[in-house]
Amino acid sequence: MTEQLTEGEAAVLAGLLRTERKVPATTLATDLGEGVERVVSILQSLAERGLVKLDVIETETYNLTEEGREYAEIGLPEFRLFDAVQKLGGKAELDEAITQAGLSPKTKGIAVNWAKKKGLLEITKEDSATVLNVKASAATSVLLELLVVLMNGEKSVPRELGVAMEEALERKHVTALTSKAVHVELAEGKIEEARSLLSTTADGALDLTSEMLISGSWKDVRFRPYNVSIEPAFVNYGKKHPYAEFNDWLREIMVGLGFTEWFGPYVETEFWAHDSLFVPQDHVSREIQDQFRVGAPYSHGEILDETHYKATKAVHEDGGDTGSKGWEWPFSREVATRLCLRPHTTPVSMRYLWEHRESPQKMFIIDRNFRSETLDATHAQEFNQCEGIIMDKGLTLRDLLGYLTAICKGVGINKLKFKPDQFPFTEPSVETIGKHEQLGWIELGGSGIFRPEVTYPLGIKDPVLAWGIGSGRLYMASMGIEDIRDLFSRDLNWLRRRYFIT
Amino acid sequence: MIVECELDDLLVMIGKKMSIEELEETLFLIKAEIERIEGNIIEIDIKPDRPDMLSPEGIARAIRSFLSIELGLKAYKVRKSGHEVIVKPGLSKIRKYIVGGIVRGITTSDELIKDYMHLQEALTSTHGRNRKKASIGLYVHDEIKYPVVYRPMKPESIRFAPLGHEIEMDGPTILREHEKGVIYGPIIAHQKKWPMLVDSRGEVLSLPPVINSNTLGQVSTETRDIFVEVTGTHLPTISQALNIMVASLAQRGGTIESVIVRYPDGTVDETPNLAPWKTTLTKAEIAELTGLDLKDKEIIDSLEKMGYGARISKSGKVAVSVPSYRADILHGVDIIEDVAIGYGFNNIEPSIPQTMTTGKLLPITRIMEKSRDLMVGIGYQEIMSYIMTSPDTLNPRMNRDNPTVVTSNPKSRDYSVLRNSLLPNLMDLISRNQHADYPQKIFEVGYVVVPDEESETRSRQVPTLCGLVTDNNVNLTHLMTEIGFALRNLGLEGKFNFVQRIDSSFIEGRCGTIEIGGESLGYFGEIAPEVLVNFGLIKPVVAFELDLPLSGEW
Repeated sequence: MTEQLTEGEAAVLAGLLRTERKVPATTLATDLGEGVERVVSILQSLAERGLVKLDVIETETYNLTEEGREYAEIGLPEFRLFDAVQKLGGKAELDEAITQAGLSPKTKGIAVNWAKKKGLLEITKEDSATVLNVKASAATSVLLELLVVLMNGEKSVPRELGVAMEEALERKHVTALTSKAVHVELAEGKIEEARSLLSTTADGALDLTSEMLISGSWKDVRFRPYNVSIEPAFVNYGKKHPYAEFNDWLREIMVGLGFTEWFGPYVETEFWAHDSLFVPQDHVSREIQDQFRVGAPYSHGEILDETHYKATKAVHEDGGDTGSKGWEWPFSREVATRLCLRPHTTPVSMRYLWEHRESPQKMFIIDRNFRSETLDATHAQEFNQCEGIIMDKGLTLRDLLGYLTAICKGVGINKLKFKPDQFPFTEPSVETIGKHEQLGWIELGGSGIFRPEVTYPLGIKDPVLAWGIGSGRLYMASMGIEDIRDLFSRDLNWLRRRYFIT
Repeated sequence: MIVECELDDLLVMIGKKMSIEELEETLFLIKAEIERIEGNIIEIDIKPDRPDMLSPEGIARAIRSFLSIELGLKAYKVRKSGHEVIVKPGLSKIRKYIVGGIVRGITTSDELIKDYMHLQEALTSTHGRNRKKASIGLYVHDEIKYPVVYRPMKPESIRFAPLGHEIEMDGPTILREHEKGVIYGPIIAHQKKWPMLVDSRGEVLSLPPVINSNTLGQVSTETRDIFVEVTGTHLPTISQALNIMVASLAQRGGTIESVIVRYPDGTVDETPNLAPWKTTLTKAEIAELTGLDLKDKEIIDSLEKMGYGARISKSGKVAVSVPSYRADILHGVDIIEDVAIGYGFNNIEPSIPQTMTTGKLLPITRIMEKSRDLMVGIGYQEIMSYIMTSPDTLNPRMNRDNPTVVTSNPKSRDYSVLRNSLLPNLMDLISRNQHADYPQKIFEVGYVVVPDEESETRSRQVPTLCGLVTDNNVNLTHLMTEIGFALRNLGLEGKFNFVQRIDSSFIEGRCGTIEIGGESLGYFGEIAPEVLVNFGLIKPVVAFELDLPLSGEW
């Protein structure tokens, strides 16, 4: 027995019978007043049953790039150069020819290279000057014709110009867009089968209506079936960014572990970003090659708490009342008030401690930081950090390792190794190395116990454990991302297809 | 900082047969790390707090004590040479301090000279802050006629052949033309007089901190006895650098001799001083920081493994002798960390966390999450963009002129200012996605930064919600309905209203201000065609942006 048609299948099949020829699915969709995606999906199901034959036709459409458009208007650089040399008597010095041709410094190289490659000009050295000689007798360009045709709005290209397309694409004068169109016709010898299927489905009801429910007429109605085995079409509904979802998940873990979230600004004074953390004022991390400075409209901020400032100045200069030697170096207010983009989230921990000086405290933050890097596949000028502090009486290095174990377990890493590390603001300092399912042993982050030079200026004598984890790396691993730029991907297709699940 | 060692040489100095794995495991436990191994060459990464480990000799010394091959304080004998360094007046504002010493009978080979140069470079770049604070010079001792004189000189009257050159140059020429002059010249260039080191005949040793002379300052494989000096602006820093340098040289079998430094004010210093300095801890302090209940012997063992000398009195006082080459010991906690390292991080049992607190999110985080939920509900795709962006995107392309926080040392113009609004970044994103399916409905929730003279950091960070729709046709009324839905569900029913707005980013008559409680907190509208053209867009766009309250209260 042949399976019955669904309502949608019947409508599409009937539409196809009416046209009696091969049609694009888009035409069929317009005729039926249906979405193309739905019609294509129905056609696919009909094709599976052998009733229709689908033909996917790929067409290339071409668009000019900005560069291509420019050349279409004013001519290709190599030909402009060629013309200029000809005007100058068939031989000219490079600079002279460039000026004559009116070429910009940017297009100079392009013009010379292609003129040489195409055998338009010969390039020789005379003394120290580069000299151009006309080599070809006359020059015409299919490429230019092609660009002009495209500029005039043609999306397809006359055959005789097709030879230039390769060059146009290579030189990025033109971008090609491949679009796919589905064309459909009734499968050979299936007209009768289609007609008979349509006649048997004609008696089923389409929709269950309110009237049927009120009147009870539904009892006598047989509903046409849907094809429930089709693959649903891909659509773009609203959803969250996978990296944001990952950070939401981290926040959930931190709150679960009893940490309170806190906030601090991206633009910081070096007082908060470094001085309060006992980073010496001449430390390399404060140099311009390591951190961004803010130059305008203001380059310096101010100190709000002079008591904290004085105590901090004292620990830097001679250790103050901490028992430390300090840096034995004069402390500068100019440096302290200098504005930077915070290079880590630790100043936020200091701002939290400034407001919360009584034990016990647990605080965390997940937010952006900045380092003076050029953006490429492995470096970014911005990255997220997840870090926090624990302050309580009697906390020790053993407790720090205990907390690190709990936090790493929270994010799903159970096998850990600890090694001594170094940060200017913690002593002891610990680096945590964890066994990640995909990546093997990886560095998870730095941590330590704040130095007395950091906490005493706030009057805090209880130990403060500070920890951070490289959350971006965990996210990249769980998403299979290798290029760091994909953390903040601008590719909408990628975003529409990606999701984060724990 | 990377230190390059020859593996066989390192193992000979350690004095124990070790596999690479054992070496790696050992380094791991003393804060260092193998970065790369290639054949016999091994690169070891040293943390900046341990300049004493910036040479193969220093690494070997640390490993020898850690593995109990040579426990405890390493004593370096210093004999008096009787030679003097005379400091002339006029240097106190230029480069005040000098320390020096003589190491006799060292072995030199091409590799070793390379090692010494590496250590010298590494020490002056990190510890010496690129020679600003400290710079080191090595000289052939036998060829110097003592006393050495450290004096200021007019740049034009300075004349000598700098290292690697046969021809004499004057001071300004060296700074202008010599490779090292170009790099380090700026440290002294602004001074009227420059510091010079000459011997009693007037033969030039060097122009610190720039370059040695090609005669006295050229150490070769023939050299057995070396004069080392460190000049700089900070006495503790240069003393530590000298101690590290001579201790490293002595590690190769040299004997150390001191010199006397005479300052113009009558101060006399004898350097190097390699005597350990003494400090006291208590057992209680060690237990308080580490959480380890250590027996006396364990404490002493741990300290001796880290190269300290230690004794414990009956009252629980720990007398510690700190090696003179350790530059990082500022406070008792630095020594206590070494107790933990000496004990072995791998032997420390983590405790079970006890601190009981209740965690919570910031109120603004909850508002941001709620906003995101609502936007997703209306069918928008969330995006995330960089905080740093291009000034062209923020203002001219948007037909705007809003104040912006600008960095003074950007790596590229594309990431040189902080976003003062989310909308430009969203516009930029759709301009890059014109091949993707339409409609495109996107949103972002994040912080923007605006200049604010009144604030501590001269800027204000504002949490913001921005949504954008682009398609063949867009509808402002529809967008307003969606904004209304979002505002009502943020608890603002009856508190918001839309009023007409003049805004050059939008089509005239097709934009409005979002007021909440009478305060202007956002805007919406249909983007002006010239702005669309600026972004290379060929479909219409409607968008809105709304400030969220950082405090959590509207």
